[in-house]
Amino acid sequence: MVQINFALKEVNCKIVYYGPGLSGKTTNLEVVHKKAPDTSVGDLTSIATEGDRTLFFDFLPLNLGQVAGMKTKFQIYTVPGQVYYNSTRKLVLQGADGVVFVADSKRGKMNENIESLKNLEENLKEHGLDIANTPIILQYNKRDLPDVYSVEEMEEALNAWDAPHFEAVARDGKGVFPTLKRLAGMVLESLNENHAPRRSPSVVAPKASADSSGGSTTATAVATSRTGTMRTQRTASVTGSVARTRASVSTQAPTVRTTSSGARPVLVTSPRRRKRRSSMVVGIVLTSIVAATVLLHLAGIIRILP
Amino acid sequence: MVTDSDHLRNQRVVFYSDDIEQIDVVLAEFLELSGCKCNLLIDKEGHMVTSGGDTNSIDEQTVAALVAGSYAATREMAKLLGEDEFSVLFHQGKRDSIQLSMVGNRTIMATVFDDQTTVGMVRLYARAACEKLDAIFEEIRNRPQKKASLDAEFGSSAKGALDFFFTE
Ligand SMILES: Nc1nc2c(ncn2[C@@H]2O[C@H](COP(=O)(O)OP(=O)(O)OP(=O)(O)O)[C@@H](O)[C@H]2O)c(=O)[nH]1
Ligand SMILES: [Mg+2]
Repeated sequence: MVQINFALKEVNCKIVYYGPGLSGKTTNLEVVHKKAPDTSVGDLTSIATEGDRTLFFDFLPLNLGQVAGMKTKFQIYTVPGQVYYNSTRKLVLQGADGVVFVADSKRGKMNENIESLKNLEENLKEHGLDIANTPIILQYNKRDLPDVYSVEEMEEALNAWDAPHFEAVARDGKGVFPTLKRLAGMVLESLNENHAPRRSPSVVAPKASADSSGGSTTATAVATSRTGTMRTQRTASVTGSVARTRASVSTQAPTVRTTSSGARPVLVTSPRRRKRRSSMVVGIVLTSIVAATVLLHLAGIIRILP
Repeated sequence: MVTDSDHLRNQRVVFYSDDIEQIDVVLAEFLELSGCKCNLLIDKEGHMVTSGGDTNSIDEQTVAALVAGSYAATREMAKLLGEDEFSVLFHQGKRDSIQLSMVGNRTIMATVFDDQTTVGMVRLYARAACEKLDAIFEEIRNRPQKKASLDAEFGSSAKGALDFFFTE
């Protein structure tokens, strides 16, 4: 659900990476976090199990910069792909404005891909959304592996509604930006269609008139977006350090990790007071989320048992 | 039947400066009375609506996402236990504590406080503030939606910003 806030002059959009377990959703977000300029992304926060499997979600805030006078921000999430975690997966999907479906190209994984896609459709429906009307991109990941399905096979099995698709090797950073760029474009385009006064040039349209006639407009957007991102990024307060909080609850010992942008993993020894306060607040909320998540799963198990 | 404007209302949340001014007045009054450090108004999707008090030390966006997640998980648990929902949540830390209160059914007020005040005070004034806020949100929801709100340049400007941002 896009939020337009004229008081803060902000547009906020929610993007969710979906897909089967181990398909590379978290890896996508790590790449975005690493590649994007420090001034435009905040910390990457992961609520994960000890073995680095996503337990609740990963979260990365991204500031695109000024778009026609509005600070345009994306809140990017990944869901846990494991079948078992459907309750939390559904919660993360709530209010999504666009979805990247990360499919595993490795031969033998097709059933998992199909199951996960069906699950996406069902969960969207529970939130009152139709998969056919939701901006969605299919990303065929792990193209580097020796034994993969052909793109035609993937298309045939997964892409029933002709959504845009991209090939990727997320682990090497390939295909990650193009995927996100296209989806962000689709989300903003749908916003533009609904909220701009008259039809203005399409966000994702192929370069045609926009480059010749709209050249100066584009240039302005570029310039302001640069200063815009600089100014708005004071919220990325823990930059340059890695805060690591561990919360063990029950036997699952989930890990909560906040990674600052562009930072080497150095442990914080003497954070400034400000910073410590910030991570304390984050810490308090995180610990309780982990507790809540684990309880939620336990409750799920109890319910499943007779 | 779901009309176009219903659909729009369900799909987008739009806040105008006047609304936020009204909301900020309520938040400021609440902070004054309760002695809390700051509070954040967050929608269920984890987007910030507005904030008041000293939030300099807080990474607002990340806290907003976590608060929304925490709230969603707890609400699910409430359902499993046969509760409607827990309308107030409380997380206690060594120095700072956080209280989450539901405003209406799609906004969360997250209040950060320390030992300058008490849980009882916070709870008391939060309840009153949430009722006032709910009334404001109700009014926002019920008025006819203006449609043309973004700049006509939004589309082309977005394209430029994306090209600039996503250069490899
Ligand atoms: N060969 C190969 N491995 C990849 C690629 N992308 C990710 N991986 C690996 O796949 C494994 C799982 O990646 P994650 O990003 O954690 O997977 P996920 O989708 O977040 O998994 P869940 O959190 O359990 O849902 C990791 O070991 C990655 O290094 C790729 O393009 N090629
Ligand atoms: Mg993951």
